[in-house]
Amino acid sequence: MFEGIPIISIIILLPLIGAVITFCLGKNDKYAKWVALGFSVAALVLSLFVALEFSLNPSSSSTGFHDGGDWFDYQFYESHTWVESLGISYTVGLDGISLPLFVLTTLLCTMSILFSWDTTTRPKAYFGLMLVLEVGVLGVFTTLDYFTFYVFWEIVLIPMYFLIGIWGGPKKDYAAIKFFIYTHIASLAILIAIMAMYFESGTGTFSMEAIGTATYGRTFQVIVFGAMFFGFGVKLPMVPFHTWLPDAHVEAPTAGSVLLAGLLLKMGGYGLIRVAIPTLTDGAMDLQLLMAVVAIVSILYGAILCLAQTDLKKMVAYSSISHMGFVLLGYATFTQVGMVAGVFQMFAHGLVTAVLFMMCGVVQHHVGTRLIPSLGGLSKKMPVASAMMTVGFLASLGLPGLVSFAAEFMVLVSMFDSWGLWLFLPIISVAITAGYYLWALQRSMFGPLTNKIDTSHVHDMNWYESVPVGLLLALIAIFGVFPLVVFKYIEPAVTIVRTLLGGV
Amino acid sequence: MDVLSMLESFIPQLVLVMFALLMPLFDYLLNDKRLLSLIALAPLVEIMVTLVAWLFLGLWTPADSQINLLEFNTFSGLFMMVFIAVGIIVVLGSPEFIRPDRNQGEYYSLILLAITGMTLVAQATDLIVLFVGLEIAGISSFALSGFRKSEKRSAEAATKYFVVGAFSSAMTLFAISLLYGAVGTTSISGIGEAIWSGSTWIEESKPVILLATVLLVAGLGFKIAAVPFHMWAPDVYEGAPTPISGLLAAASKKMGFAALLKIFLFSLFFIKADWEIAIAIVAVLTMTVGNLIAVSQTNIKRMLAYSSIAQAGYILIALPIGTQYAVAGALFHILTHAFMKSGAFMVVASMSAAAIGEKLDDFKGLHKRSPFLAFSMAIFLLSLAGIPPLAGYASKFVLFYSAVQGSFDPGPSWLIWLAVAGVLNSALSLYYYARVIKYMYMEQGPESKIKIPPMLMVSVLVALVMVVAVGVYPNEVIDLCKEAARIAFPFLPL
Repeated sequence: MFEGIPIISIIILLPLIGAVITFCLGKNDKYAKWVALGFSVAALVLSLFVALEFSLNPSSSSTGFHDGGDWFDYQFYESHTWVESLGISYTVGLDGISLPLFVLTTLLCTMSILFSWDTTTRPKAYFGLMLVLEVGVLGVFTTLDYFTFYVFWEIVLIPMYFLIGIWGGPKKDYAAIKFFIYTHIASLAILIAIMAMYFESGTGTFSMEAIGTATYGRTFQVIVFGAMFFGFGVKLPMVPFHTWLPDAHVEAPTAGSVLLAGLLLKMGGYGLIRVAIPTLTDGAMDLQLLMAVVAIVSILYGAILCLAQTDLKKMVAYSSISHMGFVLLGYATFTQVGMVAGVFQMFAHGLVTAVLFMMCGVVQHHVGTRLIPSLGGLSKKMPVASAMMTVGFLASLGLPGLVSFAAEFMVLVSMFDSWGLWLFLPIISVAITAGYYLWALQRSMFGPLTNKIDTSHVHDMNWYESVPVGLLLALIAIFGVFPLVVFKYIEPAVTIVRTLLGGV
Repeated sequence: MDVLSMLESFIPQLVLVMFALLMPLFDYLLNDKRLLSLIALAPLVEIMVTLVAWLFLGLWTPADSQINLLEFNTFSGLFMMVFIAVGIIVVLGSPEFIRPDRNQGEYYSLILLAITGMTLVAQATDLIVLFVGLEIAGISSFALSGFRKSEKRSAEAATKYFVVGAFSSAMTLFAISLLYGAVGTTSISGIGEAIWSGSTWIEESKPVILLATVLLVAGLGFKIAAVPFHMWAPDVYEGAPTPISGLLAAASKKMGFAALLKIFLFSLFFIKADWEIAIAIVAVLTMTVGNLIAVSQTNIKRMLAYSSIAQAGYILIALPIGTQYAVAGALFHILTHAFMKSGAFMVVASMSAAAIGEKLDDFKGLHKRSPFLAFSMAIFLLSLAGIPPLAGYASKFVLFYSAVQGSFDPGPSWLIWLAVAGVLNSALSLYYYARVIKYMYMEQGPESKIKIPPMLMVSVLVALVMVVAVGVYPNEVIDLCKEAARIAFPFLPL
């Protein structure tokens, strides 16, 4: 279907063109949202076609198949030289790990743009920046060259910095700068690691494949993997490098939080499994225990912090730390089940957390506050919203039949396989998670209607809020019942990671 | 050798000097002083076109120099291009800025003379010519800093710059005379060959050579404003007319680097073991101190001054690394820094031309008052911070890359810490660059629109286009820088 068409580049380029048009609208800023929606929907539709076209049996019939040998096999592969003298190329392609995240990106960007339909403060800049962000994230998930990877990785920071800093809450200045610098330092650790691998491998190219299949000494691997683990871990985020996250999330506008939690955190998880673990296998194995401990601490610490929160959005933000800990824990087992579940958890968390942040936005928007003690009995005023919020919270706490359950259950199973009864540690978090979600739900949505705030003007969700949330909830239910639809894409790619690891 | 063929080697300088000398005459003849800047542009554009035709298009190659004091090669050509490009940006940005001032003819002739001196430094193969170039550029810059002599700040800047400049020139000259005493030649390559030969005479005069090295670090350290010789730079950049601050930061400083690279990697390369650690420490100090102090600045011009001190620190790491790649990285960063820094100063000049101050607070809400200026400034600052895909990122990448490469081969392995220091500093610098962007885009300020004079706009635009274009497509420029490093320093390890 896409024979001979550089479809990935087209999908990356679409939001960029949209962004340029949006910025250049001049006085007609009421059309900004239409342009943004149009281009993001176009990218979404094309990415769905790509997903349909993606072949599970690639070597026989698929578009732009690239056989990576020991390394990952890619489809829709394109490669162009960029800076010849340094061995830098623009190379993009998709495999089973990147495909779900690729589609998730176009989906969440479209939903966020729709959700921000009533943005009236500087709409041109707002929607333009959202599209630039989409370009960066799509680039990170598709590029197969370290240099280009870093370029896209950094491009993501700038629109997010502006989104937080201009449309954010009361402490936006502090949050924006903190986000920018914290994650920039992490990026630089990755940059140094990339350069070290480039020279140690002696391949003279920044291609992930060439650098990934070279051999490295054990000490070198441990040091460089440490640097990458730090760099990607900050993004993930892992305790103790998580402190930028609550500030950034709480202050960001709703759509910003959705993209931050739904996509930007995934970049960290993606980087670990795409480059860090398969390239530096010995380093990863030597630091396996560290990864597992950090993961479990993040899971537990994030969950406990949630219990103490009085701000709905802050609670959801901390819950992300806990849930992203499952991604790391899944990787750390190095088992087939665990790693597949880790990747799937990224996809699941992207869907679920988007719903949660959108619901926080709805509450803020319609009620005027997100402070749990001031809320209460809102289900009487906004029945649809409280129903959707309930489903979202249940999905996040891992109710069977919804998407997170499949992912987290599999991570726990693989944890049991690897470390036996230490399983009790992450299991505790399951109880805590159920606790804080249900408790928050009870205090804010159910019970007698609050009299601490004026609720006379509160009405239910607008169409542009309920449509994206409803759609995402439908997907949460569908993938909760049929997780295999996604697993079968992830499985073959994870098999390659495990082969590179020596089949531990 | 006849006089005519000798003069042939001086053509760029001759053209510049001729126009410089004619400028006061044009000043007397013309009523509309803005035309003066167009006349001053003529020689610059002419040389620029010739350089581009030579370096990028390969339409011609210069004949071998008839005198062995000057050389035309890719290395000197690249430096000349930096100086001329900055000259064009500065001259374009000047007419509106100096509109109320008298003696505009002298202003332009001083700029042209300063650039003449810089091109001499770029081409010099002999320390005496190099020194003469340094002096021509230096004296013109002192006068330019004090161009608004009735303004206290400007006069103070000129005095400070003059005293420090004279002091540093004296030290450089003393160092040259010591080297001549020890080695018996002032030719840059001749000194290198003599030291390499390692005769007993050279062995015995080693202490003198080392003393000369120390003096050179200090003398040229003043020129590039390396810590601890940097104190003058913020005061001078703040006090000088803003386009001149751009000229000082973007071109004058680069002249110091041209001299440093030639002397340290050619004449003194064979005693590299004696100076590499000292320069590495100076480099790390320079970037760290520059960035740390920049954080607390509230005046944009001072902030930019400290930021260029920090950038000088990045470029300095090329000396201890001492590979061809490092030189290429330094050249590349010199080139990109020239565009980013002169562009940023031109934005500040546009603000001053509209009678707006140069404090951080004056940048509040700039995006509403002038979307173009705010956007350009944001791009320049992000590029200075090294955010891809802008020019500053590409050149920092090559520079730090060469440090990592140098630590693998030929070593020593501590060179990697130069890259680490540079990277950490880049992260630190992001804070104060991002703060300006925050003021421009996220704070509320006055609503009144700013009218930018067209020529200033063109000069900002030139810098903006270069920063983006070189960032997105650095291939050609990197190749050229590598070529320049290979030709100028053929004996350096790759």
